[in-house]
Amino acid sequence: MGKLRLQDLTRGGKIRIGLLALALILPFLPFVTDYVLHIAILVLLYMILSLGLNIVPGFNGLLDLGYVGFYGIGAYTSGLLTYHFGLSFWVIIPLAFINGAIWGILLGAPTLRLTGDYFAIVTFGFSELVVLLLTNEIWLTRGPLGLPGIDVVSIDLTLFGGPKWEFIGELPYYYLAIVMVLVTVFVMYRIQDSRLGRAWFAIRDDEVAAVSCGINLLAYKVIAFAISAAFGAVGGSFFARWVTFLSPDMFKFWESFLILCMIVLGGMGNIWGVMIGAVVLVSLSEVLREILPVLGLPVQVRFLAFGLIMVLMMRFRPAGIMPIPAVAAKMRAGRVKRKKVKPAVGIKK
Amino acid sequence: MLLQQLVNGLTIGGIYAMIAVGYTMIYGVIQLINFAHGEIYMLGAFFAITFISFLGLPFYVAFLVAMACCAVCGVLLDIVAYRPLRQSPRLAALITAIGMSIFLQNLAMIIWGSRPKPFPHGSLPAYFEKTAVTFGGVNLSWFHVFIFTLTIVMMVGLNLIIKKTRWGKAMRAVAQNQTMAALTGINVNRVISYTFALAGALGGAAGIMVGAFYNSIYPTMGYVAGVKAFAAAVLGGIGSVPGAMLGGVILGVAEALGAGYLSSLYRDGISYAVMIIVIVLIPAGLFGKVLKETKKSM
Repeated sequence: MGKLRLQDLTRGGKIRIGLLALALILPFLPFVTDYVLHIAILVLLYMILSLGLNIVPGFNGLLDLGYVGFYGIGAYTSGLLTYHFGLSFWVIIPLAFINGAIWGILLGAPTLRLTGDYFAIVTFGFSELVVLLLTNEIWLTRGPLGLPGIDVVSIDLTLFGGPKWEFIGELPYYYLAIVMVLVTVFVMYRIQDSRLGRAWFAIRDDEVAAVSCGINLLAYKVIAFAISAAFGAVGGSFFARWVTFLSPDMFKFWESFLILCMIVLGGMGNIWGVMIGAVVLVSLSEVLREILPVLGLPVQVRFLAFGLIMVLMMRFRPAGIMPIPAVAAKMRAGRVKRKKVKPAVGIKK
Repeated sequence: MLLQQLVNGLTIGGIYAMIAVGYTMIYGVIQLINFAHGEIYMLGAFFAITFISFLGLPFYVAFLVAMACCAVCGVLLDIVAYRPLRQSPRLAALITAIGMSIFLQNLAMIIWGSRPKPFPHGSLPAYFEKTAVTFGGVNLSWFHVFIFTLTIVMMVGLNLIIKKTRWGKAMRAVAQNQTMAALTGINVNRVISYTFALAGALGGAAGIMVGAFYNSIYPTMGYVAGVKAFAAAVLGGIGSVPGAMLGGVILGVAEALGAGYLSSLYRDGISYAVMIIVIVLIPAGLFGKVLKETKKSM
């Protein structure tokens, strides 16, 4: 183990460490109020969600319109397990992860054989069904009344004779969210560089070629969908314990759209791009939330901007703000006005 | 009770069929799920109500003018949003379609407000409410008759256009193979515009009828109706026009019966469930062909 010295780091590494340091001291900066911190947590939550969703359109090239379904499943898994059994957050996280993955497999296994269009529409129908179930199965979820009074997250060391520390206010949640984002990013990078990730990229770039290399399309797509769903559920379980109130309205199609928009904006398949997409869109959303009522418009109208962003991005920069070369080439392929495409892997002459 | 549900189901089913035909035609021609089609339907209703309340047009005139406006909207939608992406992978076009759908929905919310609007008092023809026929304890109002007649006329008319006219022939050619159609001298873009115009006009008409039937028009009405109509198109086999018509009627009836006998809470869920089951079990639908992944798709 050599010593880690600052000058040994690459520029990217320095930026990363700088950003992390900034994120860690953020709550203590003078202008940061509880409201700002709240938004910051929201940004972090959406980072987890968009990183999770990114696996399906970004790594596999499939459109998933029902991500919020898994988010809702995770949130209600967490909410109900806390409400009825008082389980600890630390136990719930793996349970939510598994539950999300199970639903991902149940939905993905029969539908991922189909073409992309059908898959997109099935995921959409699924998420709508989830909302309907959450609204109407009142015996389980209390329906439109919502699920109030979910316990906050706590670190309970009483078993070992230690203290019990409950998360009160935004600050502990902020750090918890940072840890969760870091874990998610770490996992995403590891997956991206693994055999699994390479198989996904092969599928995304050319299915026929991937099959002829011996990649089992269905299996890899189901794995992708399940992992993506699992991260959605983890995000949901954090959300449930953070806001301590759930209602079916929180899991409408709009949320799926917003998360998809983050990926499209940031750059499909690019981990950094997706995170930046989350920062930009959550901030934009909050700014519009303040401005629109002043103009006498309903808050919902802010989705006009998101719709426009998606259309314009697809038209002018289909691979996002931070494109990765493979996706950029793919999205540009076949365009009449062909620009010079840099090859994804440099071939030296 | 059963008959009444059946009548309602058939009425709504006919309207679903009119929207579903739009989805299926556009899919047939450019292989794109036009998510914004539901918004054209919503715009149709808003156009009608605007023409009636601001220009004082009588209902039937407003109906026709609104249909024409929807046709224009459909064409504009294609030119502005979809045409530049014709050669892009499917994913890009699909994302654009969703973006346009959300954009139009919120645009309508800005222009007309988010509260449900009724038609101005007395603007609907008075005989709509009167009972036309009574049989087996079921009251069939003139409005039902109006919707039935209009649906049938439009469906027959559409079939004639597709089967008998030169434009219809061109549309079928483009649906079969765009490149070959272009080689035989068909102006593909114009045919696509024409398809969007037809789909838009039908969708707009459906929107006006639903808006008048429930006497309530709101910006998000296209969202649910669009998904249901899409489910109908899938059920019939996407790309098949008679399939979409039949699919719409079946779905309307299934929904009315399901809501009446199973659970009215899951009224909307029935279409989603039908859609998922059909896609998983018989993706080709009743009349369709199995979709093949083309090179274009991503």
